[in-house]
Amino acid sequence: MTRGDDEIRDNYPYIISVPTRWHDNDMLGHVNNVVYYRYIEAVVVRFLMEEAGLDWLQDPVIPYAAEILCRFRRPLSFPAPVDAGLRVDKLGKTSVTYGVALFSPDRPAPAATGHFVHVFVERQSESPASIPPAIRTALEKVAR
Amino acid sequence: MTQELIETRGRYPHLLTIQTRWSDNDIYGHVNNVTYYSYFDTVVNCYLIDQGGLDIFEGSHIGVAVETMCRFRKPIAYPEIIEAGLRVGKLGNSSVRYEIGIFRQGEDDAAAFGHFVHVFVERATNSPAPIPRPIRAALERILVTP
Repeated sequence: MTRGDDEIRDNYPYIISVPTRWHDNDMLGHVNNVVYYRYIEAVVVRFLMEEAGLDWLQDPVIPYAAEILCRFRRPLSFPAPVDAGLRVDKLGKTSVTYGVALFSPDRPAPAATGHFVHVFVERQSESPASIPPAIRTALEKVAR
Repeated sequence: MTQELIETRGRYPHLLTIQTRWSDNDIYGHVNNVTYYSYFDTVVNCYLIDQGGLDIFEGSHIGVAVETMCRFRKPIAYPEIIEAGLRVGKLGNSSVRYEIGIFRQGEDDAAAFGHFVHVFVERATNSPAPIPRPIRAALERILVTP
């Protein structure tokens, strides 16, 4: 067992179900590693829009991805949906580190675990900016 | 946190030119972060196929991704042509850690960089196996130890 293999759904206060698609599988018959990042992106984006009220097109302060890591533990495969879980592991002034995990239905152990770092920037200047209060409040609610 | 050095072209013994595509850009007008991992996949597999003789259709061994990571430093955007730099940072018996840099044309500092860990397994059994000899020889040629 490697670090993070004991992660379970209960460790993630925000979970969504993400449908898989035919083309998510590569020629080895499993979801390709790149696509795991699509599922991770899906849970992060959904959280920010639905729980934190982020407006990607209008808000003056928006998040940019700074670093993402994924450990691939078990294969995922179309057509089963994927449960994508999110929590906040570290909340700074201008940046947030989410802990993320992907689960296949019917399995308690994660198919993948990782982290995602967002840095908030001013849309115009692209310089780092404080996380807006409404977004910070939503992030605090799912902090570890 | 390792790898805080400025990643420059000279640190990568192998470079692959990649044409970005229209659909790589997202609503910010930049290449979407997920797409960088597809460039990682591309430079790694092209090298294994071209230099190591990997047969992705019939070969007895396959490389399974166990961990990837990318740090994003500067945006890139379609229609840019980019270069992906590749080196091997660690070569084990059945596993290899590639280190990858993504460069804009004419720039020496990486727009993004990260790593990719492959474990080689037997296609038939899915159990870890020593890296096949021709592939290992190709990987040794781009091994760069800190």
